[in-house]
Amino acid sequence: MAELSKQYKSGINFYESKGGFGGILGWIFSTDHKRIGLLYLISILFFFIIGVSLGFLMRLELMAPGSTIMKPQTYNAIFTLHGVIMIFLFVIPGIPSIFGNFFMPIQIGARDVAFPKINLLSWWIYMAGASLAIISLFTGGGPIDTGWTFYVPYSLRTTVNVPLAVVSVFILGFSSILTGINFVTTIHWLRAPGMSWFRLPLFVWSIYATAWIQILVTPVIGITLLLTLLERLVGVGIFDPAKGGDPILYQHLFWIYSHPAVYIMILPAMGVISEIIPVFARKAIFGYKAIVFSSLAIASVGSLVWGHHMFVSGQSDLVSLIFSFLTFFVAVPSAVKVFNWVATLYKGSIELKPPLLFALTFIFLFSIGGLTGLFQGALATDVHLHDTYWVVGHFHYVIFGGTGFALFGGLHYWFPKMFGKMFKRRIPYLSWALLFIGFNILYFPMFILGWEGMPRRYYDYLAQFHTLQLISTIGSWVLITGLILMFINLLFSLFRGEMVGSNPWGGATLEWQIPSPPPKENFEEIPIVKKGPYEYD
Amino acid sequence: MIEHKEKIGSKTGMWLFILSEILLFGGLFILYSVYRFKHPLSFHLAAGELNRPLGTLNTIFLITSSLTMAVSISSFKNGKGKSSLVFLAATLLLGFTFLAIKYFEWVEKIYHEIYPNSPRLLERDKGEVLFYGLYYSMTGLHALHVLVGLVVLLIMGVLMVKGKVNEVDFIPLENSGLYWHLVDIIWIFLFPLFYLIR
Amino acid sequence: MANEGSSSPISEKIYFLVWLELLLLTGATVSIAGMNLGRWGICIALLIAGIKSGLVLSYFMHLKYEKQLRLFKWMVPGVLVLLILFIGLTFFDVVLR
Repeated sequence: MAELSKQYKSGINFYESKGGFGGILGWIFSTDHKRIGLLYLISILFFFIIGVSLGFLMRLELMAPGSTIMKPQTYNAIFTLHGVIMIFLFVIPGIPSIFGNFFMPIQIGARDVAFPKINLLSWWIYMAGASLAIISLFTGGGPIDTGWTFYVPYSLRTTVNVPLAVVSVFILGFSSILTGINFVTTIHWLRAPGMSWFRLPLFVWSIYATAWIQILVTPVIGITLLLTLLERLVGVGIFDPAKGGDPILYQHLFWIYSHPAVYIMILPAMGVISEIIPVFARKAIFGYKAIVFSSLAIASVGSLVWGHHMFVSGQSDLVSLIFSFLTFFVAVPSAVKVFNWVATLYKGSIELKPPLLFALTFIFLFSIGGLTGLFQGALATDVHLHDTYWVVGHFHYVIFGGTGFALFGGLHYWFPKMFGKMFKRRIPYLSWALLFIGFNILYFPMFILGWEGMPRRYYDYLAQFHTLQLISTIGSWVLITGLILMFINLLFSLFRGEMVGSNPWGGATLEWQIPSPPPKENFEEIPIVKKGPYEYD
Repeated sequence: MIEHKEKIGSKTGMWLFILSEILLFGGLFILYSVYRFKHPLSFHLAAGELNRPLGTLNTIFLITSSLTMAVSISSFKNGKGKSSLVFLAATLLLGFTFLAIKYFEWVEKIYHEIYPNSPRLLERDKGEVLFYGLYYSMTGLHALHVLVGLVVLLIMGVLMVKGKVNEVDFIPLENSGLYWHLVDIIWIFLFPLFYLIR
Repeated sequence: MANEGSSSPISEKIYFLVWLELLLLTGATVSIAGMNLGRWGICIALLIAGIKSGLVLSYFMHLKYEKQLRLFKWMVPGVLVLLILFIGLTFFDVVLR
């Protein structure tokens, strides 16, 4: 206790506190949830940049019909890798591993997670899986060309390095499961006195719901990929049609994970939005419990809609009907959240600071993405839209416009807390503008392209699609400029930003009641919580 | 206060891990249920080739090992350290015997040229190919879990002898027990699905 | 403090009783396999396996006596329900193609 007081009084924060090792070892062997959160931040952003670069190359190729800068096989490999990296290395770990790690323990009034060493192990496993994914580009037959979905039978036959890629994703799954176990245990047992379940910040609830999904469905893709690997290595014959296997069963198993995975991607993002909006409207969130239960509803019902990825696969009509119905059903809780966020803003005292700007953009872009999803959820229209550019537009709006922008918002919101500095205040507006304009120019044409019949994953296309493809590529350049500007500003502010106190935004959750950056043990004394997370003066 | 939280936290973590393991095998059960539905006769024929007495014996061994595991832990909590180690050793012996029998069964099949992708197997009906694909995958994955369990229990035994696991800190032993029982439960389902098909 | 959560030191008699029940059920499931019950065969086999697992979970794994981990008294059956739903929905496909 005296030790903690000393730390507090001398202003030692978690960057400066001396642990077992010094220098970089003090980081990569640290069990401090804040350091681990930052390790994830650096590594995840690194892979994000690789993913963006691959997307940039894809857009260059698609700028004109025929070959522009690469051969067809290369294009197939690039879009596969773009998907694998963005999904498994960026969006799925993204917000939970960065902000969940850094802030969830503080928000519940704890000193760390339940299993700090396993937390570190999760990061190491993430790095191992990510490294193997990159290595698979250069070894054993070359980079995979199956699409990130690894559908059989092609993934069984293609001569590229499917085994290593599949192993890397399997390993990444472990990281996800361990993080999930850690977070559920932490939230159950390490809440501070007075921090009852319904006083938890909504970000914590979103991390909680996400963690359950991570624990329960990740093993299913684990076994699916393991079987695919066994199939290739020893010919087990479970998915191989030549041996009686059913490729549609592969799709069932694959999507039993991969659909809930998109809720792993979006629930934490929604949690971030639920944090930001009350603070910058200076008003308690509207319908706290509705948002809590909608998160749990999305997690549970969302586990039963996977077949909507398979409407044209050859599955039975009846099951397609069932999945379609459940899909419309699961859209409701998401809509509830959107209504509640907007209701929170109503008659609020609004400050359009960058975090709120990103949060509002989330609501706009996610809603567009969500609405276009309805067209896919309806059987008749999906027949027309499946595997076209419409789908590509849809998921980029919900994942990038959704989770991506929520991550950027969270980054700006929590930047002063993590680093003790404020970013240059005006540049985010400019970078936001470039991001927003670029994003829409890049992705909106895809709805039109898809509606007009252009298939996805195609290297070449008919001349009639050229104009929109060109516009889309130009959008990518604007978007990337915005990204570069945003990251440069944040990086610059990291070193030259003005120092900031513990609560620059006037938040009421626990992380704003401790110094910026936080001390190693988070709190001098574990707080006794007496009020809810969104009560402002 | 914190110690108490560590214990309950540790157990919670173990149970969550158990849930994830159930889902891992669950994926295989989904495949099994579909393929058995599609090829009832082939599954019956192929299952007839498995050694039912050996499978039953293995089931008895594993169930008994769960008993010895539970008794080992309760002895330990009651301060009967030596008794606890004896029962732990019995668990290890039974688990090892299970693996030995499994190994023998596999070797026998492989000697008769029935293994994944073998020409002999591929001549047969698709249903039988699928049966053996599932057989090797599921019993193989299970055996791997048994092996890991034995290693963990061995380590527990060593820690108990050294006093690192003791009356104050016995949670690792309890958690290892939970894992071992899980392995037993999985086999309780695998046994009828592969050996008792009619 | 030693027994918080899973109180009542379980007498080893109960363990032996459970073990006997498990053996009996194993015997039952093997003999039933000898009869020709058609489609009911697998239902009964799974039922017996379920009962055996329930015994292991409740007694050997102490779920019946858990005071603080009551969550898992729900989550274990919950996970089984989830699996049944997965299998069920998949069957709506496979059976009706």
